[in-house]
Amino acid sequence: MVTLGIFSAFTPENVLYLLGGLGVTVGVSIISVILSLIFGSIVGIIQFERIPYFSKFVGMINNIIRNLPLLLIIFFVYFALPKLGIHLPIFWATVLAMTTFESSMLAEIVRGGLESIDIGQFEGARANGLSNTQTMVYIVLPQAYKKMIPPIISQLISLVKDTSLALGIVLSEMTYRGQIVYAQNSNYIIPVLIVITLVYFLLNYGLSLIAKWADHKLA
Amino acid sequence: MSMIEFNNVEKYYGNFHALKNINLQIDEGETVVLIGPSGSGKSTLIRTVNGLEEIQEGNLLVNGFDLHDPKTDMNRIRKNVGMVFQHFNLYSNKTTLENVMLAPRLVLKRDEAENKKIAMELLEKVGLADKAANMPSELSGGQKQRAAIARSLAMQPKALLFDEPTSALDPEMIGDVLDVMRDIAKDSSMTMLVVTHEMSFAKAVADRVIFMADGHILEDSSTKEFFEKPKEPRAQKFLSQVEQH
Repeated sequence: MVTLGIFSAFTPENVLYLLGGLGVTVGVSIISVILSLIFGSIVGIIQFERIPYFSKFVGMINNIIRNLPLLLIIFFVYFALPKLGIHLPIFWATVLAMTTFESSMLAEIVRGGLESIDIGQFEGARANGLSNTQTMVYIVLPQAYKKMIPPIISQLISLVKDTSLALGIVLSEMTYRGQIVYAQNSNYIIPVLIVITLVYFLLNYGLSLIAKWADHKLA
Repeated sequence: MSMIEFNNVEKYYGNFHALKNINLQIDEGETVVLIGPSGSGKSTLIRTVNGLEEIQEGNLLVNGFDLHDPKTDMNRIRKNVGMVFQHFNLYSNKTTLENVMLAPRLVLKRDEAENKKIAMELLEKVGLADKAANMPSELSGGQKQRAAIARSLAMQPKALLFDEPTSALDPEMIGDVLDVMRDIAKDSSMTMLVVTHEMSFAKAVADRVIFMADGHILEDSSTKEFFEKPKEPRAQKFLSQVEQH
């Protein structure tokens, strides 16, 4: 009976176990979000600046990564890198894979955001005596980021959801631990999946509230 | 001493020959108006003076530095040469006051209290002291352009370039902007190069008028000479067309 499952699925042990998984999910997400915002911005700016050869090269690599399935990148980092002598613990392997993939997605958003800024803003600043870097830091990037907040947040929301793909390399995150719990008893399947659904929803809804607040604050 | 000097300058956009064998000298303190039909290369010419457009041949000396020399530090040129654009190009993420204060703070490292004092004096001068805290989006076209002029003046440049400063304005806004420009022209040390269609402004303020067509400078005469008896047939035709309205 399903109702029976609802009560017995959430024994203290199971709840603690799932919460531990939530911790891993949130940990991977937060670290990857911060790193991919940094690297995504750098890569996006490099592509925007059209530095001869270098920007094209970075853009090409970025295109390749963006068009790969995330799961393949996770497999590559966890299973292939050790063959090349690079051994990463599973948590950091996931962070590296997520950061690589999300940086390339964010780079496209950053590049697009920069390209949406009126050329007059650059010319006004350059004619006013500002260096290229000052123009970017004080004039162009603040305007571009304001426009980029909605797409960036929706990308970060997929990042949080995509951490569940790491169950493919048996990272003990929330979705994986859910599987372990309902493997004990098939009556647990529905209640456990419902609870995991709720938790993902709350996490991402929280993110979208932050986005709304930031958008309002900056607009 | 010449502030701006073009020697056999050629400029191409791909295959399009935009500036053809330009030779021109503008002395320190002079006010020169550049006129001509659209597509004649006036805007391109003025934009080469602060390096917004590159030249392909010849040399272009601004304040003693050759812009065609790759070793020339473009930022150093721009510190001394301000520019006012047709579409204002105010920083849309900064208040009017911040628009005026930003470059002196970052580029000249001007002391903050002094910077604010100078900026407020300039806003006062262009009639915008009460708009200091407003964002550019809250200003009218004429106010935006006067703010942009204050922003250029705050750098205390040796030369100011005006690229059709009144062309995007409603007719009733034009007078205020031209008044401000007239005041600046009175300052005998400021070199001004102005692309405009305002013939009455040219007549009243310019020392010299340059007439361009198809990328060539066709006529370079004193203001009086140009408006009384233009030498070039194309300049005569242009003047008769502009003066019809």
